Amino acid sequence: MQIFGRTKDNLWTLIAAPVIWGIHFLFSYFLAAFRCAPNADIFESIGSTRVAIGFVTLVSLCLIALVIRRAWHEWLTGGGGFRNDQDTPEGRESFLEFSTLLLAGLSFAAVVFETMPILVIGDCR
Amino acid sequence: MKKFRTSRTFPAIFALSACEGPQSAFDAAGAEAARVLTLFWVMLIGAVAIWAVVVAIGYYATKTRPGQHSEKAGLRLIIWGGCVFPTVVLAMLLFWGLRMMPDLRPPGDGPTIAVSGERFWWRVAYGVEGEPGVVRNLPIGGVPSANEIWIPLGKRTEILLGSPDVIHSFWVPPLAGKMDAIPGRVNRLILEPTEVGVFNGACAEFCGTAHAQMGFRVVVVPETEFTEYVRAQAQPAAVPESEGLDLFIRNGCAACHAIRGTPPDGVVGPDLTHLASRRTIGAGIVPTTVENIADFVASPDHFKPGIEMPAFGMLPKDEIAQIAAWLGSLE
Amino acid sequence: MTERENTAADGPDQEDEEVRRGQEERLRKVWAAPKGWRYWSAVNNTEVGIWYTAAAFGFMLFAGVLALTMRVQLAVPENDFLTATFYNQVYTLHGTVMMFLFAVPIFEAVAIILLPEMLGARDLPFPRLSAFGFWCFMIGGVFVAGSIFFDAAPNAGWFMYPPLTTDERYTPGYGPDIWLLGLSFIEIASLAAAVELIVGTLKCRPPGMRLNLMPLYAWYVLVVAGMILFAFPPLIAGDILFELERMFDWPFFDPSRGGDPVLWQHLFWIFGHPEVYIVFLPAIALVAMIVPTFAQRPILGYSWIVLAAVGTGFISFGLWVHHMYTTGLPAISLGFFSAASEAVAIPTGVQIFVFLATLLTGRVIFSVPMLFVAGALATFVIGGLTGVMVALAPFDWQAHDTYFVVAHLHYVLIGGMLFPLMAGVYYYWPIIGARKLSDRLGRIAFWLMFVGFNVAFLPMHWAGLMGMPRRVWTYPEALGVGISNLVSSVGAFVFASGVLVIVWDVIRPRSREPYAKRNPWTAGTLEWLARMPSESWGVRSVPIISSRYPLWEQPNFVDDVDKGRFYLPDAEEMKRETLVTTVLDGKPLHCLRVPGPSFMPMIAAIMTGAVFIFATFHWWTLTITAMVLSIASIIIWLWRGTAQIPEKAEKDVGLGLKLPLYKSGPDSIGWWAMFITMTGDATAFVGLIFGYFYFFTIHADFPPPTAVGPGVFWPSIALLLFASAWTAALFARILNRAGRVGPARGLMAAGSVASLAASATLLWGPFTNGLDPSAHVYPATVWVLAIWTAVHGGVGGLMLGYCLARSYADRMTPEYDIDISNVALYWHFAGGTALVTVATLAYFPMLM
Repeated sequence: MQIFGRTKDNLWTLIAAPVIWGIHFLFSYFLAAFRCAPNADIFESIGSTRVAIGFVTLVSLCLIALVIRRAWHEWLTGGGGFRNDQDTPEGRESFLEFSTLLLAGLSFAAVVFETMPILVIGDCR
Repeated sequence: MKKFRTSRTFPAIFALSACEGPQSAFDAAGAEAARVLTLFWVMLIGAVAIWAVVVAIGYYATKTRPGQHSEKAGLRLIIWGGCVFPTVVLAMLLFWGLRMMPDLRPPGDGPTIAVSGERFWWRVAYGVEGEPGVVRNLPIGGVPSANEIWIPLGKRTEILLGSPDVIHSFWVPPLAGKMDAIPGRVNRLILEPTEVGVFNGACAEFCGTAHAQMGFRVVVVPETEFTEYVRAQAQPAAVPESEGLDLFIRNGCAACHAIRGTPPDGVVGPDLTHLASRRTIGAGIVPTTVENIADFVASPDHFKPGIEMPAFGMLPKDEIAQIAAWLGSLE
Repeated sequence: MTERENTAADGPDQEDEEVRRGQEERLRKVWAAPKGWRYWSAVNNTEVGIWYTAAAFGFMLFAGVLALTMRVQLAVPENDFLTATFYNQVYTLHGTVMMFLFAVPIFEAVAIILLPEMLGARDLPFPRLSAFGFWCFMIGGVFVAGSIFFDAAPNAGWFMYPPLTTDERYTPGYGPDIWLLGLSFIEIASLAAAVELIVGTLKCRPPGMRLNLMPLYAWYVLVVAGMILFAFPPLIAGDILFELERMFDWPFFDPSRGGDPVLWQHLFWIFGHPEVYIVFLPAIALVAMIVPTFAQRPILGYSWIVLAAVGTGFISFGLWVHHMYTTGLPAISLGFFSAASEAVAIPTGVQIFVFLATLLTGRVIFSVPMLFVAGALATFVIGGLTGVMVALAPFDWQAHDTYFVVAHLHYVLIGGMLFPLMAGVYYYWPIIGARKLSDRLGRIAFWLMFVGFNVAFLPMHWAGLMGMPRRVWTYPEALGVGISNLVSSVGAFVFASGVLVIVWDVIRPRSREPYAKRNPWTAGTLEWLARMPSESWGVRSVPIISSRYPLWEQPNFVDDVDKGRFYLPDAEEMKRETLVTTVLDGKPLHCLRVPGPSFMPMIAAIMTGAVFIFATFHWWTLTITAMVLSIASIIIWLWRGTAQIPEKAEKDVGLGLKLPLYKSGPDSIGWWAMFITMTGDATAFVGLIFGYFYFFTIHADFPPPTAVGPGVFWPSIALLLFASAWTAALFARILNRAGRVGPARGLMAAGSVASLAASATLLWGPFTNGLDPSAHVYPATVWVLAIWTAVHGGVGGLMLGYCLARSYADRMTPEYDIDISNVALYWHFAGGTALVTVATLAYFPMLM
């Protein structure tokens, strides 16, 4: 069902961006933990792991950027209101788009935060 | 309720306990503790400022007239105060904190000392052949001691931590943060003291009844003195024959304690070969004096409720005195 | 209301006072709580919610007394007021009771009272489930808390780290078992509440209440209930491993046989950190309701609050290792958690600034609830800022396990949870007690609590950095924290006196005072439709909502509701009814008959409690008897109380709207409940699978090369049988719906047999290969996964048998097929569980 714009938002689209954050987070943690688990030499560089995490980070950021772009575009098309308390399907739609936008922004910042460890820590110590 | 203590003797003995050195993170005398203390002061100042501003905004918000501030102004407050400012400040703080982490865990360039947290004392072994990282068990060998760890000034000493029983946590606040001693794992901690002195340490992870009294001392000395100390600790006992030793063996103490150079070779409790050279007995509880040793042997649980060592109060007083006198002579 | 006028001709005339009086009498009779001893069979949200709240507060006072005895002991160095062993029980129970018997249950309790009121619903969708949850909580709580009077309380801290707690040598007696089994039981209550609240929020909103018009409290409830669903199950998985080690010596946490004590810490804190937010968010939800009322304007930044609630809900699952910074994990691992721990401060900050902005643009009335809100913000911000500090691993290496952390967590919990809750007590008391609490006593209580709290806890930051570890029963004088601890103890007593003032204010007799006027704070949200004193039916008629603050913004609203001009103004058939609506826009879907008073939930809870209590003391015969009785009581409850076929297909709910009385599949609330329950169940299963792969990661060789596994043959047969049962359940539903009852019954019978055979076969693999679970962690892990899946097969078989019986009893027909529809849904999860189990146990080792 299309009300306006291109997609109909619901609770699943609302949490798309934080889910991406979650997957990115778990991937980063599990990969690093798996890499460091043997602990043969904790001062050995783990460059490939960092590159892999960095790559997934880029993919995650792009996906979140897509969520942002979609939500932003549709929110503006719908009038771009902040209050979104109209008793209409458009009001609900606009509310979900704006909230999606905010959550995606937070998720973006959180993913950026998650990349800092791989920038400054280069081994398993 | 029977739980409330009726014994009045205990606090009197306990009051003897002495904290020789500092146990405060504010008295930083190690590389890690100093950097973390700086981090703390910066964060504290920032936190006080942020708190004051938030409370001031809150106070102002309740006093201002409606209509004085538009909804736009309110939204700006949310965006700048609630989103942008915290994100930027937290990102900078996080970067600083993360940068610090590898620096605080550098490779060691001093001795490697194995420390095993055991209910409720610390087994120490100097000069073990350790390897960094998680191995299953602490390396064996080295010069044994207990509850007092000497380390050289200005060197990065590597402490390898493990435990045969439950989880403990090794903490010397003036020198560095804590690190857990976990059964089946070996953790490493770097101590890089910048001042000579005696520092107090404690167990920070709850490990059972006597957890509160599982202390230890870290003694920082110049490197030559450290080498000399370890050499002395490697020697056999100073008084290999005495009446006290015979009583020690006869009463079963040897089942748990070792005194190198003499028959007792128990491994359950602390090595007592150079007991008198240590500053405290009972894991940092009371100063090492012959009287304290005698009292401790007679009723260790008065000093330290929950201690695993049985009381020997049933022995004649003079036998305990003889054992204590002999132990007190083991420099 | 033109619609109404059009249809007034065929419906009852709501303008006629006689008609209304008749309706009100019927509603009152239908919704009345039972009298006399039968009172305890009540299941209505107001009764259960109030019992729940009172019990949780009772536990809080108990834990508060424990805290005071600790403060007496620590007031001076080297004190001997308490012995070390007793102190350890006291502090363990203080933490356990505050967290598990107060902080989390109080959320469920308050939500059970308030949520239906805020949603204009007559009750929550599963009142008997709420009652069951309450009785579970009560039994488990008394069991855990009472243990201290028998000197048998758990004594190793509220997070129970093994091996201290799993090894009989270190913790003889029943302490850890009591902790574990009592708590597992209470976790069941929490999950029951989560199911109830999620379905309540999504499906029982009033017509027209779109997602963007939902009260903020409901948003928080939705988020928090969702968090419970993913946070508690890993702990249940951990509990299973823990208790298997303690009772049967399966070495999950014993390193000498391949286990690892750190696994428990992971499982515990995957639960434990979200739990902090599970405690904090509902309290902030109360603030989000209180602030607009006293700023006399709608919340400014509704979407921002939703962002904060949902964002916190997610990020809080990425913080658990920040309780484990000192366990020696690699710095890079700690770094990810450090980053998430800093990131979570952003949404938390947003909430605070939304409240500030709302106050800034409104006209603030300073009442007692606002005073507590102000105190909460001032206090919580300190806790949040110290939280930002300890989120940095290097600083935490100093602060961890010291009084700094004790101070931090109390600032967060008391500032972020207790003060808002007290604001809520003062704000919402008229709905419960029909009178306002005393303004004067409220102010006295606030200042005592606020000053006392800060005097008690601010010095602890300093004491911690001075070198005082937490969980010490005493400390030497030379540590130099004697004065600071004395100050803390004095502050604790001042704080406690403030709590006492509130207790007095609540319990003091006030029958001579007049009732409060309706909507005493002139609030805008639906719960303030309540009459003073309130009626048991909740709302007079279920309103149509077109605004976030209907009492402010919808003209003539209260009168329309009171005169029954909206939906369900009557109870013609003398049944308890409420509306079920769609998730996005709140369009009416069907009229739900909610069950009335029954002792079955209480009996089922007692039986289930007996299972846990008997197991604690290893009375196995009694345990198994209780297990059978508890299953029987649950079946009786379901048989008599659920999926009842209505006397007619649909009914006129008012305003000319005819709604069906029975729905199955995704339109029914039962389907949602099953889906949500099984999501939690699947999460627990993932926790166990995590255990398997955790050991795979930390061991160079896992499964050990010499070990025999369950083999490939028997697990493969089991998988085939599981797949047939799964298919049978699916086709039984389809055929039954198509009217082919005979073949459907055949499939139910076949599926039931197949699933029992599947379970037996799955267990046969490890059994026939002689896997000894106490020998090494590998066979133990294989057994625990196989048993988990086999139990699901057994339950699935039972369910199919139940459907078969329902079909023969004509309680399930092609048209009315909730039972098989939900069981088929169950089988999707059970089948998935079997697939993953067999793949992990039998096929994964072949890849290695």
